[in-house]
Amino acid sequence: MTLQSQTSDLLPGFDHAAFDSNAVFRALLDAMSRPGRIYDLPVNVAAPDGLNEAATAALLAMADMDTTVWLSPSCATKSAGDHLKFHCGCPISTDVKQADFAVARIYDDLSFITDLAVGNAEYPDQSATLILMVDEISDHPAMTLSGPGIKDTHSLAIKNLPESFHAWRAENHHLFPCGVDVIFASPTQIAALSRTTRIEVN
Amino acid sequence: MEQTVKNPADGAPDYNFAYLDEQTKRMIRRALLKAVAIPGYQVPFAGREMPMPYGWGTGGVQVTAAVIGPNDTLKVIDQGADDTTNAVSIRQFFAKTAQVATTEKTAEASIIQTRHRIPEKELREDQVLVYQVPIPEPLRFLEPRETETRKMHALEEYGLMHVKLYEDIARHGHIATTYAYPVMVDDRYVMDPSPTPKFDNPKMNDMAALQLFGAGREKRIYALPPYTKVKSLDFEDHPFEVQTWEDECGMCGARDSYLDEVILDDQGNRMFVCSDTDYCAERQEAGHRGPQHHDQPLGTADRGKAAE
Repeated sequence: MTLQSQTSDLLPGFDHAAFDSNAVFRALLDAMSRPGRIYDLPVNVAAPDGLNEAATAALLAMADMDTTVWLSPSCATKSAGDHLKFHCGCPISTDVKQADFAVARIYDDLSFITDLAVGNAEYPDQSATLILMVDEISDHPAMTLSGPGIKDTHSLAIKNLPESFHAWRAENHHLFPCGVDVIFASPTQIAALSRTTRIEVN
Repeated sequence: MEQTVKNPADGAPDYNFAYLDEQTKRMIRRALLKAVAIPGYQVPFAGREMPMPYGWGTGGVQVTAAVIGPNDTLKVIDQGADDTTNAVSIRQFFAKTAQVATTEKTAEASIIQTRHRIPEKELREDQVLVYQVPIPEPLRFLEPRETETRKMHALEEYGLMHVKLYEDIARHGHIATTYAYPVMVDDRYVMDPSPTPKFDNPKMNDMAALQLFGAGREKRIYALPPYTKVKSLDFEDHPFEVQTWEDECGMCGARDSYLDEVILDDQGNRMFVCSDTDYCAERQEAGHRGPQHHDQPLGTADRGKAAE
């Protein structure tokens, strides 16, 4: 009975674990292999307080007991923590350096991003992925992207993206093959910036 | 004495969709996202035992299992052919465990798993090419220690590979490597394209489709995002070039495809056919004829005859 009263206010996860996580992963794979291209979230999921739908879906699809998740102070609500622990079983750390997935809102103090793991020269894959929740993603030419996965150029605009992000991203690009990959998650859409992507801010 | 073997699949509990459990798929999927973010870099992954021996495409099968969804259409080729044992069994494996549609037509497939060839037909943006890789490390035969090859990749220390190609030139007068010909990915990582003939190397450059590589025994995954620069290693005075042939396909007459040699008898007679069976069949359907096609008049098939 105690268990029931604890779980009754939990939101559901994916309707169908195999199909929904596959669909979300395919959107993430497409987004990461074609940086700057915008993909609609292919499933409907309930988002707990503190997270939006696309960020929740990405974590449900990718996080489990092998991945440490860090939530920014504004995301780290009790219901977000409970949701991730129940559905993903992932450890949630308050140490950003430990994070495999770091989740933040675009209005947060983003100074933590310089502490994210970037991997090392021999294992550049041991790096963090930043999931940044944003209001709106569009293909207005605020940024012009080029690099692997992009035929000529892609245009991408993230509403309210701060200057400091670009400064950090330029540094991050120079670390290649080390570096942090970024997934932008609006409530209904995702787009990604791979560490290889060159950004020209217009 | 007659024995009845109960097929364990009959009445057995259902497999998870696409055979692998969800946690394994997530682990592979995380490796795939890193692989596309670092083109050409080999990401270690916790490869699982698959119900087929190493060397039969366990790496490719695991990548396909992590990527495939219920709406995908799968094509599997082995040396270009859809009808060889390896290709047929892997296609049936996914038809059974994922109940996906399968096809032999390159144009109709959304995922193509391949052993040692790239289809002749140009691939599209909405397609994924999954390679089965036996030995992912291009430097392995030059340096057996993983700790050292890791360092060489980290330091971009690829001199040894150029020495190997140079030794080819010193010994044979040209670069004699004809398959698994090393490539430089996006000016950073030297990568083994898997044992595809070097004929296929130019197709990897700037390809519209996503290319994923899985090595099951060696437990490595790597990838080429679409439109990535892939350059075959060479020298200014010995530029990379692909093989060319005098012969044409005996069935469809193609001169632009990769050909297999077929020995016809012990008198030295032979013929050549396209290694890509779908490409050849499509050309035959369109009315193209090679000299050995069965509806060609007898006596015209002398091209393949060995010189006495």
